[in-house]
Amino acid sequence: MQSQIETAYTPEWESPPDDIVIRARDLWKTYEMGAVQVHALCGVSFDIKRGEYVAIMGPSGSGKSTLMNLIGCLDTPTRGRYWLNGKLVSELTDDELAYIRNKEIGFVFQTFNLLPRASALHNVELPLIYNGTPAAERAERAREALRMVELADRMDHKPNELSGGQRQRVAVARALVNHPCILLADEPTGNLDTATGVEIMNLFDRLHHSGNTIVLVTHEHDIAARAHRIIHIRDGRIDRDEATR
Amino acid sequence: MEVLNSAQALPQPRRASTAEYLNAWVTAREAFWLALETLRAHRLRSFLTLLGVVIATTTLIVVMSVINGMNLYIANHVANLGANTFVLSQFKWAQGEQAWLKARRRNRPIRISDYEFLKRNLTGYKVLGATASMETGTVIRYGGQILYDVSVTGVTPSMEDIGEDQPESGRYISASDYQHASLVCFIGQDIVSHFFPTLDPLGREILVNGTPFRVVGVAKTIGTVFGQSEDNFVQIPLTTFRRIFMARPSIDVSIQAWSAAQMPPLEDEVRTLMRVRRHIPYQQSDTFGINASDTIMTLWKQLTGSIFAVTIAIVAVFMVVGGIVIMNIMLATVTERTHEIGIRKSLGARRRDILTQFVIESMVMAASGGALGVLLSLLISRLVNLVFTSSVPVSAIVVGVGLSAAVGLFFGIYPARKAAQLDPIEALRMEM
Ligand SMILES: Nc1ncnc2c1ncn2[C@@H]1O[C@H](COP(=O)(O)OP(=O)(O)OP(=O)(O)O)[C@@H](O)[C@H]1O
Ligand SMILES: [Mg+2]
Repeated sequence: MQSQIETAYTPEWESPPDDIVIRARDLWKTYEMGAVQVHALCGVSFDIKRGEYVAIMGPSGSGKSTLMNLIGCLDTPTRGRYWLNGKLVSELTDDELAYIRNKEIGFVFQTFNLLPRASALHNVELPLIYNGTPAAERAERAREALRMVELADRMDHKPNELSGGQRQRVAVARALVNHPCILLADEPTGNLDTATGVEIMNLFDRLHHSGNTIVLVTHEHDIAARAHRIIHIRDGRIDRDEATR
Repeated sequence: MEVLNSAQALPQPRRASTAEYLNAWVTAREAFWLALETLRAHRLRSFLTLLGVVIATTTLIVVMSVINGMNLYIANHVANLGANTFVLSQFKWAQGEQAWLKARRRNRPIRISDYEFLKRNLTGYKVLGATASMETGTVIRYGGQILYDVSVTGVTPSMEDIGEDQPESGRYISASDYQHASLVCFIGQDIVSHFFPTLDPLGREILVNGTPFRVVGVAKTIGTVFGQSEDNFVQIPLTTFRRIFMARPSIDVSIQAWSAAQMPPLEDEVRTLMRVRRHIPYQQSDTFGINASDTIMTLWKQLTGSIFAVTIAIVAVFMVVGGIVIMNIMLATVTERTHEIGIRKSLGARRRDILTQFVIESMVMAASGGALGVLLSLLISRLVNLVFTSSVPVSAIVVGVGLSAAVGLFFGIYPARKAAQLDPIEALRMEM
């Protein structure tokens, strides 16, 4: 795969073909720490096809989260280009990135990142608020998403009235409510015990089965083994990119 | 697996039109409810924050209400001496302190003879009337009951056509009463409610400073002005007044013109006649006062003008202080809720959405301070009404709440901009 990318390098500054959801070319992320420059990513390039199930692995501090934030349009690369769904997003403005985050990306965080004072339903509604969906449709779609993660009976609970696994499922419902083209998860099981982690991973498996493209970061090999492809990162570079099945 | 069917049914993201996406209304409404929620969650903190705005609004509305109330009084009572009527009296009613001190030395009372002189020499008036009053030191009795300090006024029968005192039952002082200096009286509603709560007062005798007077008429209710009842009076014929109480009273002469246009020439005529009668050299000022409603209106407008200027200064100071406090608390709120802002941004909130959220929050906060001020001023206005006069105009409520909201908007922009400009990653990293 790696070699494929390299041979096709030069002409691919143009828009990628339709089945490529993500195309990254020579992504750099450099943090200026006073006089010192920290290279969190040093020239990362890869493609992810529609419907793929990808795990990103690597030691702590290798740049996995940095990469995920770039893919998720939460951050912009210092250098390099990135296409999402055929659109060059590495040069968009803040508000355009917000639009992409809202419509094209579902992000699941290790720490859930739910609004503590809002109910599960309202948390799931949030992305819909920011694309102006009317209230009635919003509630309907949020309920549907919560049903999908089997939390129909917990809609009115606040996050602190839910278990860790349930919270993460609310977060997954929120990520899916706008029907994004890609689901990103940065260590989604990192804050969960093993059994709950398995529950969440089963949910991801099902979501992949039903046609979602998934990229997740994990430390654990048996979780990564569920994916169809594992990208290993070390010191901000792609170390290995292997298919598992 | 069937739970996932819905996701399969919509594999392609539904593309929202730009117009739909730009629809700020949904986020604004959301922000509004969120703001109310936040206010409720931090009731005490919000109240303390809003104190400045509350005081400013209260001050503004109370002052506006008192002025409004006094305006109504002026309009209803002073300005309404009777249509096209002016009053000749010893002093000019509304004038500066200096002028009044001077007038007190120079001016001489108007006497019955002056009234009769005018009646003989004045041409073209509609009605001429005279009154003499005892405001204090009067004692009215009926049965075992006593009323003190009732206004006892001697009147000419013509006053019925000029003043406000219209009979509700019975009749006014008649020409015959006047001629015969009869012991009859025309009483106000306060006297009725004190002495005759259940009886018909007509034909009964009350004692005015010991002299019995027969009630021939009862006036319609007039109401209170500056907390003073205007219904607390006994009117008797002026001739009787002179016979029993005061042989040579100082009187007021009321002159009614045929039309508003006729007022100035008629005033001039009265002035000229009086100056001739009193032999006032032409370079000296009048030794009497001619009072028309515009005399009072002019002074009143000057007075309210300066009251307003002071009020606006006070309100401005409080509003600015209140606004700065709000700005401060909003800055704290933004810091406190950085993580929330990060979450919202990660889900697609644009700068403008965050800006709207916090500006609306600040406006709702300030406006509820304004609303509290309105409530408080309604309460104060009621209390004021017990001893003075006050009437809350609707415009004051609108101005009060609107002004506070504007202050919230102005002072909310800076904190909201700070919130809007936060970087999503850094904001997310801030744990609560
Ligand atoms: N805001 C920042 N400022 C400076 N350096 C940063 C910043 N964010 C990340 N880094 C650096 O970039 C490198 C990669 O960080 P990143 O968070 O991507 O690691 P990671 O692979 O996700 O690690 P972990 O598995 O522990 O989550 C680290 O060396 C880190 O110190
Ligand atoms: Mg990480």
